[in-house]
Amino acid sequence: MEFFRYSRSIYGGSDQLIGASWDLLPWFVGAAVVFIVVHAVLNALAKHRVNQSS
Amino acid sequence: MDQIASNKPQPAAGQAERVIRHTALDRLYHWLMAICVLILMATAFLPILGIKFEWLDIHWITGVVLAALIVIHIIRALFFQDWRNMWIGLRDLREMRRDLARLFGSRIEPPKPGKYDASQKLYHLGVAVVVLSVVCSGLLMLLKIDTPLWRRNPYLFSADTWGVIYVIHGMAAMTIVAIVIIHLYFTLMPNSWYMLRAMVRGWISREEYTKHYDATRWKA
Repeated sequence: MEFFRYSRSIYGGSDQLIGASWDLLPWFVGAAVVFIVVHAVLNALAKHRVNQSS
Repeated sequence: MDQIASNKPQPAAGQAERVIRHTALDRLYHWLMAICVLILMATAFLPILGIKFEWLDIHWITGVVLAALIVIHIIRALFFQDWRNMWIGLRDLREMRRDLARLFGSRIEPPKPGKYDASQKLYHLGVAVVVLSVVCSGLLMLLKIDTPLWRRNPYLFSADTWGVIYVIHGMAAMTIVAIVIIHLYFTLMPNSWYMLRAMVRGWISREEYTKHYDATRWKA
C-alpha cells in the first residue's frame, strides 16, 4: 500500500510528490466502520449493564 | 393595558413547551455546508472510483461557496454568538473521561452537559481542523486552474510545496469521508433523533431539555 503518489520525470531525476495515495480511501472508510462497530458494541454493553442494575 | 396585553401574540398551544436549539440561520448554515461537503465528496471521489464526468468546475465552485460559508460562520460564532458553547475546557475533558469510563463499564452516571456535550465539542474541533485544512489547501490549488476570475499561476510555489499542499488536501478529504460516516451514525442513533429534529425544525421539547441538559449550563 502506498501512502503518497509520485510522478516520475521523463528526464530522469528523483520522483516528485504529487499527492496522497487514493489507495488509502478504503482504509479511512474502514476506520470509520470499525469506530462505529466498537462504539455500538460498547454502547449496547453499557445499556445492558444499566438495565441489569436497575 | 389589558387591551395591549390581549393584542400581544400568544404562543400556539404547546409552543411554550419548545426550546429553541438551533436558529433558522444556524440550520441553514448546517444544511448548506452538508450539501457542499456531499457535492465536494462526490466530485472528488466518484471520478477516482471510475465514474468519469466533468468534475473540476463543480468542485472548485462548490469549494469557494464552502469557504465563504465558513468565513460567515466564523464571524457569526465569534461576534454574534456565544463561542464559549463550543470551547473545550478542563471540565469537558473530565466529563469526556467519565463518558468513556461509562462506555467501558463504569456505573457512574456522567453529569448533564450544557448545550453541547464534550464529545460534540471535540467533534466540532476535529471537523474545524480538517475542513479548514481542506479548504485552505483547496484555495491554494485554485492557483493551478484558469477561471473567469483569475489566471493560473502554478509557479507561485515549488513543485515540492505543491506536493505537500496536494497531500494535505487529499488526506483531509479522506478524513472527511470518515467523519461524515461517523456523523451519520450518531445522527441516526435512536437516542439522538431529537437532535436531528432540532437540526431540521430548530427545537427540542421542554421535557427533552430537562432530561438531557443542565439548565445552569444551557439557559433556555
